[in-house]
Amino acid sequence: MSFIDVKSLSVTYPLFNRASSSLDASATLDVSEGYNATSRLLRAPNGQIIGVRALRDVSFKVETGERVGLIGSNGSGKTTLLQVLAGIYPPDHGTVEVRGRTTSLVNINLGIRNEASGNKNITLRGLASGHSRSEIEARRSEIAAFTGLGEFLDLPVETYSAGMRMRLNFAIATAFEPEILILDEWLSAGDASFRKMANERMASFVGKAGIVILASHSMSLLLENCTRAIWLDNGTIRSDGPIKEVLKEYSTS
Amino acid sequence: MASGLMKAELWFEFAKDEIQHRFRRSLLGVSWLFVSFAMFVAGVAYFFSGFVSMPMDQFVFHVAIGYAAYLFIIGNLIDGCEVFTSSKIWIKAMPLPYSVHVYRSITRSVLTFTMQFIIIIALMILYGRTPSISYLWAIPAVFVYLVNAVFIQYFLGLAAARHRDLGHLVTSISRLLIFVTPILWSREGMAGQRAFVADLNPLTHYVEVLRAPLMGEPPRLTSWAIVIIITIISGAITLLVAAAFRRRLPYWL
Repeated sequence: MSFIDVKSLSVTYPLFNRASSSLDASATLDVSEGYNATSRLLRAPNGQIIGVRALRDVSFKVETGERVGLIGSNGSGKTTLLQVLAGIYPPDHGTVEVRGRTTSLVNINLGIRNEASGNKNITLRGLASGHSRSEIEARRSEIAAFTGLGEFLDLPVETYSAGMRMRLNFAIATAFEPEILILDEWLSAGDASFRKMANERMASFVGKAGIVILASHSMSLLLENCTRAIWLDNGTIRSDGPIKEVLKEYSTS
Repeated sequence: MASGLMKAELWFEFAKDEIQHRFRRSLLGVSWLFVSFAMFVAGVAYFFSGFVSMPMDQFVFHVAIGYAAYLFIIGNLIDGCEVFTSSKIWIKAMPLPYSVHVYRSITRSVLTFTMQFIIIIALMILYGRTPSISYLWAIPAVFVYLVNAVFIQYFLGLAAARHRDLGHLVTSISRLLIFVTPILWSREGMAGQRAFVADLNPLTHYVEVLRAPLMGEPPRLTSWAIVIIITIISGAITLLVAAAFRRRLPYWL
């Protein structure tokens, strides 16, 4: 049985002098705000920006077999939430309990060695996910077939196009039948044949009583793959419920 | 740290891939590790032998073993500063124990060290040296080197991820260290301020615990005592720092 339980989760990214703006703290209210900067940027008393509040007091539960779509505008905290669920960022405040073997595909450029071949990356990622060499070898041909990359698997990944990288990434991530699959929006960037294969694979995977968390801006992708949606707005949950209702609310806002 | 150690297959594969990549497209490949070391030892032993009272057949080993020891320790200081920053693509992609990256990094320096010792052994055969019982003291010395490497890299990795100046500082200091460590010269028969500086330099003692037994000399108890004390202190500091700040690492990268 797998489940996810998130209780009053907050995440703030520290910036370490990377922000050059240091508006006078008292002046910030007069500036026209994009991205709700007033509430989301953490400032030192002198006005220097020292952090970004990515998530604030987020709580939800996901049970076995649920497929949850994350929606929200750019910068609303979707990717951060996925990374916390994937165990990459430990929460600042609150607790996150994730039970089940988790595989995450959050950033297509991470977790892959550009200089190494596709085949080598299958080995590295397999080992990194805790699989033995024999398990990896047993799956290799299946992964190779799913990527559709053929002999390109012997070339370094840096020679791949974005779509090819995505195929490789997705094939590796789903090959070992994770119980919880965490996907970011780049999945919608694939071509039609890839999306069809990906949809099939996710459907079969959910049939095995797993959990899918999928962030996307594509309504059709979410409707096809999810049963429930969580709408993130400025780092907080604005709405959480059955996919159709939340998407309707989201598109009319 | 222990859970990372268990994933031996993984960090060994990471290290192998990294080494292969470093020497890919070079004609001599990994042999460069032999060549560059042999060039240094030959050059220094020939040129500096005029400045020291040691006979040439002793001085060659003084330089070769001293330089190999120096390179291992300095290599771990410098690699340590970037052990986590250079593993960003994995740290931000998968929830692995952070020590995996430390072991990956050390594996690489151990390989270099081993290859240098192959040259040293070859030199010993060439000069017709007969091993004595004192050589066995090199085994605990190598063990202490490895333990120190883990602590140093973990600590510097965390500290340098947070304070990026540290990497530059360590590089600058390490350039100086080769001159204040008895490698190009000998501590024997030295007096006054320079001897004091050499004794104050912990690296002198680290080099001595490995070199003295291999030169057929009895183990130096003062050096051993200093090395063991430093190891215990650095180990304690590393464990405390890791316990307190490890969770912040992904935010620092």
